[in-house]
Amino acid sequence: MTKENLVFLVPCSGMGKVHGLIGREAVFKVVTELRPKATELACLAEIVTQDEEIQERMNGRKAITVDGCPQMCAEKNVRLVGGQIYASLRVVDAFRNHRGVQAGSATQLTDGGLLIADDLAETIAAKVDEALQGGNQGA
Amino acid sequence: MLEVKKVGIISCSGEEFAGGCLSRIASRRVLESSRPGRTVTICLPLFLAGGEEERYFTQNFPTITIDGCEKRCAFRATERLSGKVTKAMTVSEMLGQDVAIDAPFSQRQLNSEREKQIEKVRIALTEAVDEIIGKTSEEDVITPLNPPPGMRLL
Repeated sequence: MTKENLVFLVPCSGMGKVHGLIGREAVFKVVTELRPKATELACLAEIVTQDEEIQERMNGRKAITVDGCPQMCAEKNVRLVGGQIYASLRVVDAFRNHRGVQAGSATQLTDGGLLIADDLAETIAAKVDEALQGGNQGA
Repeated sequence: MLEVKKVGIISCSGEEFAGGCLSRIASRRVLESSRPGRTVTICLPLFLAGGEEERYFTQNFPTITIDGCEKRCAFRATERLSGKVTKAMTVSEMLGQDVAIDAPFSQRQLNSEREKQIEKVRIALTEAVDEIIGKTSEEDVITPLNPPPGMRLL
């Protein structure tokens, strides 16, 4: 697979909420274990700079964003640098199958939090597969 | 007039490199353990996504940026989008560029070596906070009292 075909995964930095850490953990699992040959990470902080380098890198490329709060920072910032949002996922949706679970904090997840991250990772991996099969959802 | 003593910590949290993971975890530990109540963390991406409160804080309170690598995205973005940074730090300067641009790691991959690196960054960040607003004095430390029977501390 050529570099240009890799799907960008961009979680929010999630400094303030456990949801942010769950999104990060889920994305790391996809990139390192579930779909290592099909995905690529991009630093959200670099996207925020809107530097020419990151704009060139992301321009027109499919991206899946994972946001921890309603501000949807990852999605908004990726759009601003020209990334093509294939799917915009919200961590809060991953909680629906885990009602009442104490997930931990923005610093450290509990086993329950890691379980939610694992579920979310499966959802992200499925979206990656769709994107590679030529889907244009969210475009 | 009551002097407000709070410092904002803006971490790059860079997802591509270990430096970003180290900056994020160290920032969280300063907030929760080293200087709770005296520090806040600010979400960098909110500067572009409409975070008026974040911009207000950065324009009116001292801030420290902590970047993972030499690109210094948190520092540059904060100065461009919000306000002057009081102190800019980078993990690559503290631990070396090799550590900073190593692969990112998950919570499950934390080991003793990573913990040592996080601790170095946490200590440096804590010292930077103290430089700006002074060390916690004895007077600032509130010792919880045992309430009389029947009374509950809120």
